[in-house]
Amino acid sequence: MTRLDLEGVGFVYPDGTRALDGVDLTIGAGESVAIVGQNGSGKSTLVRHFNGLLRPTDGRILHDGEDVADVRTAALAARVGIVFQNPDRQIFAGKVRTEVAFGPKTLGRSATDIEAATRDALAAVGLSDAADANPYDLGYSRRKLLTIASVLAMGTPVVVLDEPTTGQDARGVARVQQVLAGLVADGRTVIAISHDMRFVAGSFSRIVVMGGGRILLDGPPAEVFAEPAWPVLASSYLEPPYAARVGARLALGSTPTETALVEALAARG
Amino acid sequence: MPVTPSPYHRLNPLTKAVIATVGSIGAFVLGGYVGPIAIMVIMLLLAWRAGVLARLARVSLLLTLPIAISVVLVSVFTRAGTTVLFQIGPFDATAEGVDFALQTLVRLFAISLSIGLFIMTTEPRAFVFDLERRGVPPRAAFIAVATIEAVPTLVERATMISESQRARGLDTEGSFLTRVRGLLPIVGPVIIGSLTDVEERSLALESRAFSRPGRRHLLWAMPDEGWERVLRWVLFVLLVGAAVARLTGRI
Amino acid sequence: MLVLSGVSYRYAGYARPVLHDIDLRLADGEIVGVVGANESGKSTLCLVASGLAPGSIGGALTGGGLSIDGEAMADKPLHEFSTRVGIGFQNPATQLSGVTGSVFEEVALGPMNLGLTQPETVERTKAALATLGIDELWDREPRRLSGGQGQLVVIASLLAMRPPHLVLDEPTAQLDPEGTRLVGEALRKLAASGTAMLIAEHKTDLLDDLCHRVIALDDGRIAFDGPAGTVLEDERLVALGVDLPSRVRVASALVSRGLDPAAVLA
Repeated sequence: MTRLDLEGVGFVYPDGTRALDGVDLTIGAGESVAIVGQNGSGKSTLVRHFNGLLRPTDGRILHDGEDVADVRTAALAARVGIVFQNPDRQIFAGKVRTEVAFGPKTLGRSATDIEAATRDALAAVGLSDAADANPYDLGYSRRKLLTIASVLAMGTPVVVLDEPTTGQDARGVARVQQVLAGLVADGRTVIAISHDMRFVAGSFSRIVVMGGGRILLDGPPAEVFAEPAWPVLASSYLEPPYAARVGARLALGSTPTETALVEALAARG
Repeated sequence: MPVTPSPYHRLNPLTKAVIATVGSIGAFVLGGYVGPIAIMVIMLLLAWRAGVLARLARVSLLLTLPIAISVVLVSVFTRAGTTVLFQIGPFDATAEGVDFALQTLVRLFAISLSIGLFIMTTEPRAFVFDLERRGVPPRAAFIAVATIEAVPTLVERATMISESQRARGLDTEGSFLTRVRGLLPIVGPVIIGSLTDVEERSLALESRAFSRPGRRHLLWAMPDEGWERVLRWVLFVLLVGAAVARLTGRI
Repeated sequence: MLVLSGVSYRYAGYARPVLHDIDLRLADGEIVGVVGANESGKSTLCLVASGLAPGSIGGALTGGGLSIDGEAMADKPLHEFSTRVGIGFQNPATQLSGVTGSVFEEVALGPMNLGLTQPETVERTKAALATLGIDELWDREPRRLSGGQGQLVVIASLLAMRPPHLVLDEPTAQLDPEGTRLVGEALRKLAASGTAMLIAEHKTDLLDDLCHRVIALDDGRIAFDGPAGTVLEDERLVALGVDLPSRVRVASALVSRGLDPAAVLA
């Protein structure tokens, strides 16, 4: 289990762009957290600090209370797995199975472990039947699921997904939701960056809203998508999900998901 | 029209290209010390006039240094010669080797300065538009400029790919051997990704009549003074003269 | 009017067609949405409707053909399509030419390729930027635009060719919410300008807003074709892997709880 603590984290790119500005954030073991905000708000920069791909220019990052400034990325990768947005910036192997085995292999797992992890990860994303296929014969959404499997196979206590639903159809989104639920049930921490407000409202217990390299809002969906928070959302060009807007219009309180909306309506009679 | 900070920047792109070509081929053809050093001095003076002296010197050093070091090591110690200067283990450093290394070095620097000056003072697309105006097929011109302009994208892509592999535990900070082993997972996606991008871009460009044959009118006029044309011919003739003199053994 | 009649198409190197017997008419000024699961043939349909398949990417029409304004398009050189039908894709980065230094030059590239004179090119470029309301971006460097702005520039570049038909393959898929909003607004403006559009999208909320008609693809065949309101309210779309629009999902959830959507959402 790994708890992540960020203390006053700031990050300035070499060209002088400030991407993060005094970020304080704690993500406990087993939490499911969505990070939202427009492009350039600092989401991607933030998650790259979790496994040391980027090192803070101010402040510090702690894993279970230990400062990781001197721990190499290759070692941090065993604790925090990150699935990046574009599958084609990652896939290199000629076979699906080899691609998935790459992570556990670089982490030095045993051959039996690697095989079992690969099999389980492929099953989790529904790609067992494609284990021997060439990744580039799969369509975009299946390639994307493949990159998720590649990180699942590493068995990291923390799994970060950058835009897992981009380019997915309804079935793909449902599959991603199922994978996330499985991770949470296993007690693993799940963190996702997403532009899809309906997805985050329905699948995460906590939402962090970023803008201009800072955390603007941090709370459960019902709080972040409640009417009083709308002006803050708007400042990062975000719109609450449809259900939340309808709920507010009908004065039903905060109804971030369609289920919540219908429940609230039914309760009112 | 892009902003042009110095009169040298404002020269016709072809003139600058000719200066770069004559400089680099000239340094190669002339050999020895005087020619290449003269070319180096001219390029540095032009760079100073164009306000890019410091940047050009730095970039040219950075680019040339790795090659220069290997050239020096290889030629100083392996070139057969009669005058042995000193020995390291089984290797003899010969005076002939040192001479050869120095000659190669001045050529290398003259070439990198010539090309570097061109790149730093010329907008690639201005160059291509100018070539197009002179009758180079637009497709060839496009490929040339797209290749040059693709470098930053390629670097960005390689960075992202290396990030996603490091996130899977790939050690790019370790020993030389570990790094070499780590190359495949990075190079593979770089190549595949570039090919897909090229394919997508060519489809997108078809929708903008890219493959239509025939003339195009430029959006703006391209400067090309009469004296520049004369200068280009003079430089060209000088280069041919040098090559002929070299081939016939006169220099 | 763009017409696909009985079109079947297969990619090079594959025996099995990806599209089967597609009949599709895109009338002048009409906006048609295309929905379907991934790999149901949406992108291929876009490529075929714009002539890029088989024209540029190869493969073969194994049946039927494309005609525009009554003219059969088979055997026409590719550049002749550009003034009749423009096509836009997901990713602005790979659609921008990568060879221009400003948005103005980027949008002007197409008209220049048509061999128009400099004043004509300038006029068309200005008009295209104005239609989408992005005049103020004219001197920006294309590669430094946000995703949404980049996508607007791509669409402006197509508009500058003055095609009566536009095909857009998931124009908002890669964009953040602000980019999606920008493109959505631009498409509304375009709809008002009379350009006919064929838009493939997963975001049915957007199609629900924009389209006159929607077709649903299932494994390369047209499974549903009808007025946008009717098709997007059809629960059978869910089985095809298509998300119904928010308003439809909420309404049907209300009905299942014995509530009347018309009454409670009024």
